[in-house]
Amino acid sequence: MRILHLELKRVMKSRLTWVLLALALAFSILLAWLPVTYCYSNDTDEAGNEVRLTGLASVAYEKKRQADAAGVVAPERVREAVETYQACLTAYGVTESYNLPEGVYEREILPIAPLLHGVKEAFADPDTGMAPSIMEIDPARLDDYYSICEARIVSLMETEQPDSPAAQHRAAEMYRQVEKPFEVYPGMNSAIMDYQNIMGFLVLLFCVVIAAPAFSAGYQSGADDILRCTRHGRAELGSAKVLAALLVSGAAFLICAAAYLLTANSLFGWECTETSIQMMYSIVTLADMNIGELQRLFAAAGLLSVLASVSFTLFLSAKCRTAAASLASGLVFCIAPTVVSMTAPETLSAWLCSILPASSTSIQASVLYAVTDFQFLNLGGLAVWTPYAMIGACAIEIPLFAFLAVRSYCRHTAPGG
Amino acid sequence: MELLIDHVSKRFKDKTAVNDISLKLTPGVWGLLGANGAGKTTLMRMIAGIMPPSSGQVMYGGVPIQTLGEQYRNVLGYLPQEFGFYQEFTVQDYLAYAAALKGLPERRSREKIRELLERVSLLDVRGKKIARLSGGMKRRVGIAQALLNDPAVLILDEPTGGLDPGERVRFRNLLSEFAHGRIVLISTHIVPDVEYIAACHAIIRDGRLLATGTTEDLVGLAEGKVWNCTIPADAVPEYEDRFRIVGVRNECGGSVSIRYLADQPCNGSSAAAPRLEDLYLWLSPQGGEESEGREQ
Repeated sequence: MRILHLELKRVMKSRLTWVLLALALAFSILLAWLPVTYCYSNDTDEAGNEVRLTGLASVAYEKKRQADAAGVVAPERVREAVETYQACLTAYGVTESYNLPEGVYEREILPIAPLLHGVKEAFADPDTGMAPSIMEIDPARLDDYYSICEARIVSLMETEQPDSPAAQHRAAEMYRQVEKPFEVYPGMNSAIMDYQNIMGFLVLLFCVVIAAPAFSAGYQSGADDILRCTRHGRAELGSAKVLAALLVSGAAFLICAAAYLLTANSLFGWECTETSIQMMYSIVTLADMNIGELQRLFAAAGLLSVLASVSFTLFLSAKCRTAAASLASGLVFCIAPTVVSMTAPETLSAWLCSILPASSTSIQASVLYAVTDFQFLNLGGLAVWTPYAMIGACAIEIPLFAFLAVRSYCRHTAPGG
Repeated sequence: MELLIDHVSKRFKDKTAVNDISLKLTPGVWGLLGANGAGKTTLMRMIAGIMPPSSGQVMYGGVPIQTLGEQYRNVLGYLPQEFGFYQEFTVQDYLAYAAALKGLPERRSREKIRELLERVSLLDVRGKKIARLSGGMKRRVGIAQALLNDPAVLILDEPTGGLDPGERVRFRNLLSEFAHGRIVLISTHIVPDVEYIAACHAIIRDGRLLATGTTEDLVGLAEGKVWNCTIPADAVPEYEDRFRIVGVRNECGGSVSIRYLADQPCNGSSAAAPRLEDLYLWLSPQGGEESEGREQ
């Protein structure tokens, strides 16, 4: 414990550590604020002039306008919303809402818009996946809305995973277990989740930068030659370095994630976190959770990912002879999931992105996207939903790479020449 | 307790840095003499246990140091030739960190750190970051950390590099006091640094052990090979071609007195009392020239 305490003291005395941690916290709050700045709405004032609302004013305006839509998404409410939509467009002789006269959308459609989310998707063609326009949907069929959604996931999985009956079966089973009817509380949009992803990725980068020199800087400067000649200078020191880096990284991520969620949810309203994720993402999303639970799951997966990446970086650091080499290789593995997801074939990408330690919080390949996607890893007759694989891989990688880092450190020998 | 270096060799890709060296180190101060590139640092690293030999082994008390592991490190103090510190540490923090790693209880470590800081004259700068200290001060911090655990085996690789003359004298005195009953091995290519404090010496060249023994024994090997002679100043280049000149002193009337090494003296020479440095140079025909690059 004394060595761990001194090692923590050493890490926390570094100016680089403080600068990076302060930057991470500042970015977390800034990123939570940024989605607010993209919000805008058009209102009409008492004189009949169109007024453009931005930021928190826009959020408040939309919440107020859509207050009646908030609550349980019962099939009859969806039916009423569709009927209202169709009646409105028919009355104005248009087939798309963007052709409505100025101000009509805000007045007639905006208040019911949250209930219309996912309706077109639920009625998508089972073969082509093409969604109809709301005008083409028979409102009478909406009395059986959730059965239609359950049928849609079956057809969707037949398209997405045609060669994996296990995945098709598993997805249908998962969706059946999702609590219905859904709930919606307007005011929040998916940018909140995207920016949480960016926040997690930035903290990941900062933590990797802090962890990368843990062993290699000592090798490079020769400081390690002295320390490893001491009584506790091998496994104990190696373990203390690993634990210190994991503690600092874990604490940094938790603080930043907490700061992000507190700021974002306070700005958009905590009640929005009760919205079912199916009412923000695909109506047939497999996870049984609301936005708040998704935020917490994403934060937990991000924490595991950061710890796994730091653990892996420490392993690299114990292997590399210079701090620059361990930093460069650590950062390469941070961006690897993003590159892989953009360039590798789908199956390979799914596997690699599930295994790479940085995946859960990487850009474009994170647990967030995996939760809202329909990918499964197929192994024989087994189909594993990729978020489970990602989280499971990180949970294994943290102790595995920590052990390998300590082992590599103990086996390191002074360089010749 | 004795430290036995048993047929130790270290081979790198294209070079044998240490070639079959055997040496028994008993308590006392030992000087390991050799030119840069002779293999001193590689040998020291193997003795310190941070570099495994390609063949042979180092044993302490009859047990290989790899087998002893923590037990050996518990009695070891090591100062590498080139070493760094964590930039963020103050002198006090660094020594506290090293003391914890050496297993010193907290109270004992505080007392020991203060005592050593006094001994190496660093008490005034104990709160200063090591990065801001001069080279000599950093070296003294290194010496202090090596002594923290009162090691039974102290390995010091070029410990006096960067120390000014006064600091060298203080270091020698400190080491003389410390060395009783302990094995202290000091590597250097500066012979006077160990001549007066080391009772025994080992001289290596090109990775091989050339000679070993007490100062008197080794100096005896140079008996009859060290000469003094007075020659005209303009004859020095000619003598340099013929003999190994180890000292030149200007005399009155345009002549110089030279001290040189040779099996057979030239006319007019008189025998001189040999010193350890004479033997070292005698055994190093290349004149102790520094090999290219850093020592292996």
